[in-house]
This record gives sequence, C-alpha cells and structure tokens, in this order.
Amino acid sequence: MGKYLLRRILQMIPVVLGTTLLIYALVFALPGDPVAAMFGDKPVNQAVAAQIRAEYNLDKPFLVQYVLFLKNALTLNFGNTFAGQPVISVIGRAFPVTIQLALMAFVFEGVFGVLFGIISGLTKGKWSDTIILVISLLLISVPTFVTGFILQYFLGVKWHVLPATAGAHPGFIDLLMPAIVLGSVSMASIIRLTRTEISSNISEDYVRTARAKGMGNFQVIVHHVLRNSLIPVVTYLGADIGGLMGGAMITERIFNIQGVGNTLYQAIVRGEGTLVVSIVTILVMIFVVTSLLVDLLYAVLDPRIRYA
Amino acid sequence: MRASQEKNMQAASQTNAQAKAQSEGPILEVKDLQVDFKADGHTVHAVRDSSFNVYPGQWVAIVGESGSGKSTSAMSVLGLLPGTGKVVGGSMKLHGRELVGLSASDYEQVRGSQIGLVPQDPMSNLNPVLRIGTQVKEALEANHMDVAREKRSQLAKQIASAETVTLKNSDDELFISAKDLPGLFAAAKSALEEIHAKNIDRTMEAFKAEWDVGSQTRWGVAKGLIKAGLDDEKAWSIAKQHVTGSDMNDRIAGLLSEAGLPDAATRARQYPHEFSGGMRQRALIAVGLASRPDLLIADEPTSALDVTVQKKILDHLHGLTDSLGTAVLFITHDLGLAAERAQHIVVMYKGRVVESGPSLEVLQHPQHPYTRRLVNAAPSLASQRIISAKEHGQDASKLMEHHTKGEGDLERSEHVITVEHLTKEFKLPRKKEMFKAVDDVSFSVKRGTTLAIVGESGSGKSTVANMVLHLLEPSSGRIYYEGKDLSGFNGQSLLDFRRHVQPVFQNPYGSLDPMYSIYRSIEEPLRIHGIGDRKSREQRVRELLDMVEMPESVMGRYPNELSGGQRQRIAIARAMALNPDVIICDEAVSALDVLVQDQVLRLLNDLQAERGLSYLFITHDLAVVRQIADEVVVMQHGRLVEHATTDEVFDHPKQQYTRDLLEAIPGGHLQLGLD
Amino acid sequence: MTDMTMNESLNGSMTESNAEVFFPDPLPGQERFVAPLDDTPLADVDSVNDEVPATSMWADAWKKLRRNPLFIISAVLAIFVILVALFPFLFTKQDPMACNLDNSLGAGTSGHPFGYDLQGCDVYSRVVYGTRTSVSIGILTTLLVTVFGGLIGAVAGFFGGWVDAILSRVTDIFFAIPMLLGAIVLLQMFRTSGSIWKIVFTLTLFGWVQMARITRSAVMEAKNLEFNTASTALGSSPVRNLFNHILPNSLAPIIVMATMSLGNYIVSEATLSFLGIGLPTSLVSWGGDISTAQSLLTTNPSVLFYPSAALAITVLAFIMMGDAVKDALDPKSKTV
Repeated sequence: MGKYLLRRILQMIPVVLGTTLLIYALVFALPGDPVAAMFGDKPVNQAVAAQIRAEYNLDKPFLVQYVLFLKNALTLNFGNTFAGQPVISVIGRAFPVTIQLALMAFVFEGVFGVLFGIISGLTKGKWSDTIILVISLLLISVPTFVTGFILQYFLGVKWHVLPATAGAHPGFIDLLMPAIVLGSVSMASIIRLTRTEISSNISEDYVRTARAKGMGNFQVIVHHVLRNSLIPVVTYLGADIGGLMGGAMITERIFNIQGVGNTLYQAIVRGEGTLVVSIVTILVMIFVVTSLLVDLLYAVLDPRIRYA
Repeated sequence: MRASQEKNMQAASQTNAQAKAQSEGPILEVKDLQVDFKADGHTVHAVRDSSFNVYPGQWVAIVGESGSGKSTSAMSVLGLLPGTGKVVGGSMKLHGRELVGLSASDYEQVRGSQIGLVPQDPMSNLNPVLRIGTQVKEALEANHMDVAREKRSQLAKQIASAETVTLKNSDDELFISAKDLPGLFAAAKSALEEIHAKNIDRTMEAFKAEWDVGSQTRWGVAKGLIKAGLDDEKAWSIAKQHVTGSDMNDRIAGLLSEAGLPDAATRARQYPHEFSGGMRQRALIAVGLASRPDLLIADEPTSALDVTVQKKILDHLHGLTDSLGTAVLFITHDLGLAAERAQHIVVMYKGRVVESGPSLEVLQHPQHPYTRRLVNAAPSLASQRIISAKEHGQDASKLMEHHTKGEGDLERSEHVITVEHLTKEFKLPRKKEMFKAVDDVSFSVKRGTTLAIVGESGSGKSTVANMVLHLLEPSSGRIYYEGKDLSGFNGQSLLDFRRHVQPVFQNPYGSLDPMYSIYRSIEEPLRIHGIGDRKSREQRVRELLDMVEMPESVMGRYPNELSGGQRQRIAIARAMALNPDVIICDEAVSALDVLVQDQVLRLLNDLQAERGLSYLFITHDLAVVRQIADEVVVMQHGRLVEHATTDEVFDHPKQQYTRDLLEAIPGGHLQLGLD
Repeated sequence: MTDMTMNESLNGSMTESNAEVFFPDPLPGQERFVAPLDDTPLADVDSVNDEVPATSMWADAWKKLRRNPLFIISAVLAIFVILVALFPFLFTKQDPMACNLDNSLGAGTSGHPFGYDLQGCDVYSRVVYGTRTSVSIGILTTLLVTVFGGLIGAVAGFFGGWVDAILSRVTDIFFAIPMLLGAIVLLQMFRTSGSIWKIVFTLTLFGWVQMARITRSAVMEAKNLEFNTASTALGSSPVRNLFNHILPNSLAPIIVMATMSLGNYIVSEATLSFLGIGLPTSLVSWGGDISTAQSLLTTNPSVLFYPSAALAITVLAFIMMGDAVKDALDPKSKTV
C-alpha cells in the first residue's frame, strides 16, 4: 500500500507540471498580445498593462516565465485584481459558500443516485426501472442551466416552495435548490453506473456460489452484489467533487450565489484574465488532488488494485 | 494377485456401503425432471424427463457434452437455475422431501446445510474483494454453524434423544483451538515420555500433521493418543483438558486445511487473486463442505485446472467426502473421469438421459449409440494412435502393419524442423532477474510425422510454438526449417517460410476475426501472398471447405454463427490454403467437446496421411497425444524432461514427472471393452 | 469403420484382463437404463445449422436497433433536427436577425407562434436557425474528436512502449483539466470574435482525451486477440493487421463513444454561449438566446422556454440514440 501511494504521488508530479504548463501556455504563449486580450472589450490601459507584464514576467524567456508562474501558483501568490485586491483573498472569500454548495450537491447525488440506482438495478426490466431510467436520461440530456431555470421558475417563482435566489449569506434552505440542480446530472450518471454494475454483478458466478452456501437473498445482495457494485460508484462520486466545484459556475450564476463560480463568471465578464487563470488553476489543482485521493480510495476498497 | 485381493476388498466394502445405502434410501431422487428456458419468445427444453438417484456416501456422475443439460439438472436441484430457467415438471426429492415448488426461504435452509456446491470455474466463483476466510465464514453463518460447539453438541444430543436420529459421530464435537495447541502438544509429549513410548518423535510428527486447528476433534485427539499407547483414561483426560473448542477463525482455518490448503490460518486472511487456480478450488471445496451437507454437487470442479492438480484435488475431495459420508453428484464431460470416480453414471444428451447404470458396466458395455460414440471418442480411454482409414482401408492387420512400418520410416526420414538449445527469457515487471520461459530445449520434427510437446500451464510449450512460428525471437539457440536458420529470414524469405509453416491456435473463438466472413478468413492467406485471381481463389476456398468437410454454404457466414469445432475446422482450412509442409497446432483441440475433438483429430490425421504433412502438436493433454503423435517431448518449467517415441513414453516413462502426468490421465487405467 | 478399428484394438489389449468384473447389484432406481433410440435420435457430430440465415455482427446490431423503440424515437427526432439544421428556411419564412423593437416581448401571433423576445426578434425563427449552429458544432466536434483522439489512441495502443508512455502522459495532463474550465481559459481571450470553428476547436482540444483513452484500450485489446497472431503467421504485416483486423474490431466502442458524446458537445457549446464566452451575438444560437432571456424568467418565461426546450429535445435525441447504439454494439461497456 505504501509503495502504491508513493508511486501514485510520483505519477502526479508530471501531471501537475503538465496541466499548469498547458494552462499557462494557453493564456500567455498563444499568438497575439495576451495582455491586450485580458482587457477584452475595454481599451488597453497602458499603466495596468505594464503592471501585468511585470507581474507575469512577460518580458522574460518563456520557460522562465512559466517557472515563475509556477512558483507563484504554489505559494498561492496570484497577484492582484483590477480593483487592487489580492486575488487569493478574493478567492478565499468566495470558497466557503462554494464548498458548502458542492458538499450539499455531493450528498444529494450520492444518496439519491445510489438509492435509485439500486432500485433500478434490482428491478431491471420492471416499470420502476424504466421510469428511473427515462428520468435519468432526461436529466443527463437537459443542460444544467435549463434544469436550473425550470426549478427556479416553478419552485421559486410560481409556487414559492424554496427561495428563488440565494442572498449574500445563503443558508441551508437557500442553497437547497441550487444543490439539487448542481447535483442532478451527476446523480443521473450515478444511477446509470449503479444500475449497470448491479445488473452485471448479479449474474456473477460468485453470487451464485453465495446463494449455494445457503445465504439469504438480502445477505447475498448486500454482501456480494452491492458491495462489489458500489466500489466504482464510490470512486465516481469521489472524482466528482472536483467536477462539482467547477460546475458550480453555472448554478451560482443562475441563483446568484457569491461563490467561486460566480467570481469566475464576473471575471470573465469583466475580462480579468489574471483572475480567470488563477481560479481555473486552483480548480484544476483541486481536481488533480481529488483524483489522486480517489485512486487511493479505490485501492483501499478493491484489494486487486492494491497489490497490482 | 495383489490386484485381485484389492478388488475383493473393494467389492466387500462396496457391498457394505450398499446394504447401508439401501436401508436408508436415496438422498436425492430426481424423477422426470423438465427444465425450460425462454429465449426471444420461444421455449427451449433444456432438460426433459431426466431421472436419477443418489444414495448416501455415493458418487454419482452425470456425463455429457456442453449443452447436454447436465449442469442445468444439477442447478435445478440447488434451485439456482440461471436467467429464465424454470423447472416445469417432474419431481426432485431430498430425503423424501419434495424440492419442486419449495419457497425461496425454505430453499435457503436446504442450500449449504443439506446440499453443497463446488462450482466449475475457480477464477470467477470467489468474490474478488472479500478475504477467503470471510467467504468460508459466510457459509458457516448462513447455516447457523457459528454457534458455540458446546451448545450445538447439546442441542444435537437433545434432538437425538427426542427422536430416533443417528448422529454423525465426529463432527458435532469440539475442535482444537489455536491457543489449545501448544498445551496439547506438551501434554501429549510428557504423557508419552511417562509411559516410555517408542519413537516419540515420530509420533509427535504424526500428531503435528493430524492435529489441525479447527478441524481435528476432541474425539479424534483421544483416539490418536490411545493408538499411540496411552490408556483410555489418560488419553481422554488430556483431550478433555486441552481440546476446549475452537473459535470461528480456528474453524475456518480447519476447514481450509481439510480441503488441502497448506498454512490455512494465513491463507484465510488473503484475497482470491493471491491464490492459484488449484488453491482457489480448494477454498471452494472448503466452502461447499463447510456446513457438512449430505449431498455435494461438484460441477466440473477441476476442468479448468492442470491434470496433475486435477488428480490431486479430486483424490483429496474423494477422501474427504468418504470420511464425512457425503454423497457427491459429480458433473463432468469426461467419461473416463466419471467412470474412475463414480459408482453410478448418468449419460445425458440433448437434455435427456440416454443411458445410466453402474459406471464400469456402462463403460464396458455401452448400449445407446451416443454412449458408444463417447466411449469411442474419449481420448483418455484410447490406447493407440488414430490410424487413418482413408488411405489404408479398414483391415485391422494391415493397419497394424502400417503402424510398424511407420515406425521404421521414422528413423530414416529427414528433419523438417530442428530446434537446438532453444532458450527464451522474459523480463518480469518490477523484478531484476530474467524469467526463463524456455530453457535449453532441443528436438526435431521428422517429415510426415507428428511431434507432440506436452506440458502443464507455465511449462513453456506455447512459447516454443511461437518461436518456431517466428512470432517470438529466441533469446538464444537456433531453429532450422529445412536446414535453413530461421533467424536469417526476412522480407521475401520470411514470407516464403510463412507459406510453408502454418499455425492452428487454441482458442476457436479468438483465432478467426469476427468481422471477416468465413470466405474472407480462408481467402486471407491467398490474398496476402497474392495467389490467383478472385475466381481461382473462390475455387480454392470451396476445395478447402470440402477438405475439412464443411458445406460451401458457410462461406457467407461469420465465426460467431459456428460452433467451436466448426471454427477450428475453418482455421485448419485457412492453414491448408497455401499447401504448407508443417502445421503447428497450439492446443488446437483443447477447448472442444470429446466428440468434436475426436472429429478434428481424425481430420488432422487424414490430412497428414493424404499429404504427408508434419505436425508440431502442442497440448497439455497426454491422452490426446497417444491418438495423434509419433514422438513426444515432455516439458516442465521450461525444460525438456523427456523425449521419446509415443509408445515408449506411454509404456516405459523414464521420468517421475512423465509418470505423474500419465497417472493423472483420468480413467487411464480402466479396462473396458465394447460389445 | 472407425468403430471397427477401435473394437479390434480394445479387444486386443483386453485379452488378459478381468473377464469377471465384479458388478454389485444396483440400488433401487439405479438399475441399468438405456433410452429407446426413437426418443433421442442421434444427430451428426457438430453439423452446421443451415436453416438460420447468415448474419454479421453489424447486421445483428442493426436488427437489435430496429427493435428498440428508444432508438426509433430518437432516430426520428435526430433526423428531424438535422433536417431543420440543413434547411431552416423550409420551416420558417422569418429572418431571425430581422428584429423590431416595436415587437419587444410581443405575444405569439399567426406566423410568429412563439412570440417575440426583448429585442423584438421572432422567437420561432431564432429557435429554427439556432438548430444549425448547435447541430453543426455537435457534429463537427464529434468528427474532429473521433479522428484526432482516435488517431492518438490507436497509435498509442498499437505501438505501445515509449510511444504509448509519452502519449499516455499527455492524455493524463489533458484529462486533468475539465472541459468547461479549459474552454473558459482559452475562450476568454477570443470572446467577441470568431465563428463556430472557434468553439469546435476548443471543444476538440479538451474533448479528445476520452476518445483517445477508449480507442487505446480497444486497440490494445484487439491487438492481443489471437486472430492477429494468426494473420501474422499467415504472412501479414503489422500495418496490414492494423487496418484489416485491429481497427475494424475496435470500431464498436469508438462509435458508441462518438454518438454518446455528440449531445454533450451541444450542451457544452450552449453552456459556453450562456456564460457569454461562446459564440458572438452575431450568430444565432440557443445558448446565447437563453443567456439573454434569463432576466425575463419572472416576467416572460416563454421567451426562455422555447430555446431551452429545443436544446433539451435535441440533446435528448442524440444521447438516447447513443444509449441505444451502446446497447446494440457494446452492451457490456461501462460508459455512463
């Protein structure tokens, strides 16, 4: 296990270097003036442009630029926003609410995804399975923002069941609908994954052997079918944490939640390239780290990986 | 002389068991069983009017090819039919109790405690994410065998006194626990020293081997001590003091070591992927017998294993079920194996029982044409090389003549393929030293004859085949084709070599491209070598199909529509397309049912007789070798163990390993005849 | 004939054997039984069943698809959507760019069934013309991803060794960047300009990874199948094997992946346009229209509803079709 951990961490290093280099190259090494592009529609303010050039060491050779960028990123020194605030403190303020939102969505998709997935998988071919399957297909097909508007309109505007938008300091109730919207697509995927796993595992030979031991149906389902089926589901869930943080952008936009996603959106609208790159870099790092943790979790759950 | 004595003893013990069995009546009584499957809206009758009985302590074998309904019948008894399978008629009685129509929860009571299962494929029947010990434990818990021994023993006694039930004598007792063991050994040793017993060390060694934690009982310990010379009182007092009952882990270890797994306590904490195939099968035997069922269903329990491992495991299972008095319903495709292991044989064909009776009688006087076919085809029962009737007519004396003549030729004919000091090393992942898959192997194939390479998995036989086919580079050593060194071949000369040396591979499902029609598959070599035009190629494909006795109508079909044997015949047609001199058959018939296997072997043999082909025949099955080969090379762990003519290897094996292989051929020593 | 030889030889070897084999009396129910031959006629060993018509794997898959109602429904929908995308002028006479502020938020009338948006544009014609943008981005991205990702995956899987090692690390790096985030970084620099190609290239850049991974494993699996070894032994070259055997046998998962992701690319484009970094406003697109209409949610939800519904139905059609194709071609695949 220790060896496996070490190997995975060593494997992560080139990925981290590669992703940051890629993001950096996309922003600063493409033809054209990246600084001018950062101003978007606005006229280029030469003073600010010069400051950005200095901040990003754009006057130095490319690899030196990148190394300096990496060093800054690792020390969480992302420079300042247009308004003069340190980027890291802007992001720091936005993070807690996004984490809360992502966690709520995570619990929602985990609980309901697995629950409906199990029902669907165990009643394969019956009406309950068909209904769950059709709904999950619908949820996967309909873009998050459309689901968001539909729920917002009916639950929030028309029937006043839940608050239509979250305020500046949203509580649990305010975030409930956004969390459901955020988690819905992943929930549908989890339903489908759980269902596929269960229906393939239930016809495995070792399940028959378990029945031949005289084990009761419930025991067989729990100990052999579910246990084995949920391993990939758990790892899918884990890998989704990073995805939820990134996907929060649309949800936060719709429900006007002042989180990381909305900050990112505002930065895009205002054309603040530095802020955009900083946030995306942080999100990608979160994604890479959660993938690593998920791999380790997988190794804990499945002995075959551990000893491979 | 000795043999006849043994036979008499066997007969006597059989009569005893007979009397006992008769008085108790059958454990399992299956009558007119009917099983249907539904597929695409129509019904398939998988089993029809199948009847058989199993008596206590008896081995009954159901024999048949794949699709004969043998496994379906067994699974019906367990109430574990797959998919849409359903028992639609007949009756199955266990101890006189009807199993057809039993409720799900009642069936759960029956499974495990009254009927156990040892399934076919050890690779897929253990849950990969649970420890072996846990999977044995489940079997105990499911049948409430996990309550304290003391309590169970008392309960059993109460039941026994209340009704007239005979107790199974030893297994309701207390087992040795791990913490008992040191004290028990010390007490036994000092007691033996006290009475100045002879050979104390040897006795203690024997005790160490016998006293398995969680398996040996107080009763057994006491008996052992008495046998060693202690008086009854002393023996029982030691047993009572030091055998206090095992805990769950001890019992699990005990069950695993009963099944023949060494170092069971450690092994119980491991996962299935850390076990070899044979070890997994032993774990499954422990699971099947954990709750001491009266009837064990063994569904081809060893067909996935090497022959020597198969023999060891079946011997062990036989001993174990005999000592426990368990009856076994043994499912197999191998008639020889069935006759060797079972007293009673049931032959199934297309869902019906075609013949049944005492095994030797069925084997020696098969009456149903299907059974005769099976007996004829069974490689394990064959006693000599198939002789092609095509070329040489059917006069027996002439045939014998040819055979001896053939042997004479053998000495004179030249070598088509010569292999000298062949070695192949592989780099193992994360290991420094190289692994020698093939280690200094030399042999040669004489023109027009068959040389068989025999070995178990990991013997390096297929690696040799791949090197001879120029698919793998040897690490050292030389291979010559017609005196020319293979390593010098490239470009045109390699293409030329490929024209003359063709392969037929093991897996009939893998060696034909599923996207290619049969026509395209057979035509492929002609295309690669740019032979003929479209029309002449089509003509050639027709000829080839005719040669392998396949109708021309299969040309437009795809491999997935053909059976394994048919695909193998297509693969042979493809190999024959370029008129080769040598065909390398890598386990070419291993995956086939006996009848089909026999058919393919005869085809290969006819082709050899007609065209003077030379074969390099790779197989794990010595029985097949006798039917096809002139010379045999036996390989083990990459090394050549023995090399001689087939008759010599079979009649006078020189090496112990060859003898083990011969010994392991199921039914090899059975005598049989045909009416 | 062969029976005869067998007989001879067996009898020969049995002369000195025990003629008086001991047969105990069979137990009740275990007496000798031989089924009458009429009940169990003997078939030829391993004969070919000529009654069933020949079918290839593709024909089988097609047969399965035709029987799947989900496939029929989604295929009809998809064909309809593609027709609208190809010939939008057949479905509306209105110019989607001809907007009149006088009509702002006007209700539906004859010829303008969905009413007008804030700018006074005809919602119906904008929905119709938006189809072309979405569908062409979906199809073009799928094509590019399949070619580009498929090529990289096939090369990595076929050559293995260091080629595979390098390409796999590159794949890992791209895999670590979620498509949406990567697209945002790239697109925020070209927000106001460009055509649909801008989106297609961006989505391809961050979308090829999945395809490469799937192709790689499919090619590696097909490469190790015995028929390749068989072909090599017949004299076929590795490259000939790649094109004649390996690629055709890897096609099923690639096709499944392609059909399933087509819908996802349409969603991604709409999301990017919704965030304001997708297509410029000069191009009619559902995402852009939804984005501009979102402020009308409380007052005029119908303006928001129509493009959303069109988007949802289109995506649903393609994803449902992908699902059906998966069931037919590659039922064991675990693609979600």
